[in-house]
Order: sequence, then structure tokens, then C-alpha cells
Amino acid sequence: MSGEEEENAAELKIGDEFLKAKCLMNCEVSLILEHKFEQLQQMSDDPRNQVSQVFEKSLQYVKRFSRYKNADAVKQVREILSRYQLTEFELCVLGNLCPETVEEAIAMVPSIKAKGRVHDDEVIDKMLNDIAMIKKFD
Amino acid sequence: MFLKTELQWNVVIPAESLDAKGLMLQKAIIVRLLDDFAERKATKDLGYLLALTTVEKIGEGKVRQHTGDVLFPVTFSAISFKLFRGEILKGVVHKVLKQGVILRCGPIENVYLSSSKMPDYNYVPGENPIFLNAKSSKIEKGTTLRFIVIGAKWLEAEREFQALVGLHADYLGPVSGAPSASMYDLP
Repeated sequence: MSGEEEENAAELKIGDEFLKAKCLMNCEVSLILEHKFEQLQQMSDDPRNQVSQVFEKSLQYVKRFSRYKNADAVKQVREILSRYQLTEFELCVLGNLCPETVEEAIAMVPSIKAKGRVHDDEVIDKMLNDIAMIKKFD
Repeated sequence: MFLKTELQWNVVIPAESLDAKGLMLQKAIIVRLLDDFAERKATKDLGYLLALTTVEKIGEGKVRQHTGDVLFPVTFSAISFKLFRGEILKGVVHKVLKQGVILRCGPIENVYLSSSKMPDYNYVPGENPIFLNAKSSKIEKGTTLRFIVIGAKWLEAEREFQALVGLHADYLGPVSGAPSASMYDLP
């Protein structure tokens, strides 16, 4: 993160290395951490002894704040959002917060309406409808 | 935000453990890496280190002159958690004070929401203190809040982050824990 520009996720000013980093939605992290926890369960009696506080708190958090619980639904969300020319960061914020209206989506991720971006309201509306469809079959 | 990044760390294997060859050595290196990873806990750049997902490559070992230990460069992928200024996410109220509330978000326990950043909410003292607004929206221990990150500070000595957040924009504030309800499902 360069010192000159102040960090601001709303404008996607989060440092070049993070713009290119892979971000994960809560539901994706939940699947990964749960799987890890199960692996540890197979290796010892009390897996909680094997995991750090950071791991445990994060697991609790993502389990609670995952909109999609099964692996197929999670994959679908990523797939659908990936069609809309979003950065990794924007994709994950939308996947996590699941805004219901175009207005809410823009409030959550203002950068999608920044100058030069291709997302008019119709496109955003379609995107929200596409994700909403997945929830019904979760 | 949860991040997945590729890292390269050096793992030091003491001279005594070097009798092991092949898979045993590889296992020793990975076990050491896991220990180092767990001990590191968090870094300023990546945030909190949650889990190591895959080991991509173990490079050639280099002997350290004076100790006889061998240093192996290991490339691996890991998941971390970091808060970005301007990011919007959810947290759970853990403590209610006159000056504001303390939230938990992911692995971070010290997320501060000042009363000055809770527009229209007023402190109501009592055994179970709460914040209340004119529309009877309540903020108390256990409430889930959607907030915006104002800033995150890395504390080098404690190896942890502190964050300042606010509710001073649209669509922020208490949200239901249930997946289908929205903030605006009010009578």
C-alpha cells in the first residue's frame, strides 16, 4: 500500500497487491475452514486444542454470516457474479451482504458506479436477481 | 475481507532432524511451517493468518554456516482476514458503553463504534445498557450491525488490529441475523 494515496475501499483504493489478490466470500471461507476442522477431528480427540483462537473465531463468524451453505450454491454465486466485470473485492462484498435493491448494492459497493465502469442500474438489477434465484434452492 | 494469498517463508530445520530423508523430511518441514504459521498470528500486510491451504513448493535447502541448520524456502497459499478503510461488513455487539459499543468481527475483538458515529441513537443506561433511536431500533449486546470501516490500526507489540467503524451512511445499522430478513422489514 503506497503511502501517498489514502486507503478507501469504497473507491477501490486498497493497494495494488490487494486489487489483484484473491478475495473469498464468507461462505467460501466457511467451507474451507469447516473442512480443515473435520480433518483435525480425524487426527485427534479434541480438534479445538489444535486450532488457534483466530481460526476458531473466524470459523464461528463465517458460519454465522454465510448466506449460502452448500458447496454447489457457493460455487454458483461465484460463477454468476464473475460474469459481471467486478473486482474480487467487489464480488465478495456483494456475495456477503446480498443487497436486495440496486440502491442498496450501490451503497454497499459504491465503486461499481464509478466513472468508466460498465454497470448501469439494469445490469445491477439483473445481477441481484440472478443471485437471489440461488437462495431459493439452497 | 478474507484474502487468499501466495506466500514464501523460510523454514529452518535443525541439524538433528536432518537424518530424515524424502517424505519424512518433507513432513518435518510442513509441520515446522504450520507451527511458524500459528505462532505468527497476524501481520500488518495480510491481517490475521487463519489457515494454510496448500503447500505449492519446497525449495532447495541452504545450510546455515554456524549452526548446521538448514533453511528451506517454502511457497504456500494461506487465508487471512483484514479490514479495509471504506469496507462495509457485519459484526456483533459485544459490549455497550456510554461512549459507544465494542464489536467483534471475524477474528478481531476490538472493533470500536463511537456514539458520535451512531446518528440518531441515544444511550439508555441500566443493567443491560442499550442504544435506542426514535424508531425504537435497538442496539444491545448480541445485536448484529452492518457498519463501514473508518480505519484499522496495526498494534505491533500485541500483534493485532484495532478498528474504528461507523453507521453514518445508508443501509447501515442493526440487521437481522436471519438470512432472509432485511433491515427494512419493519412494521
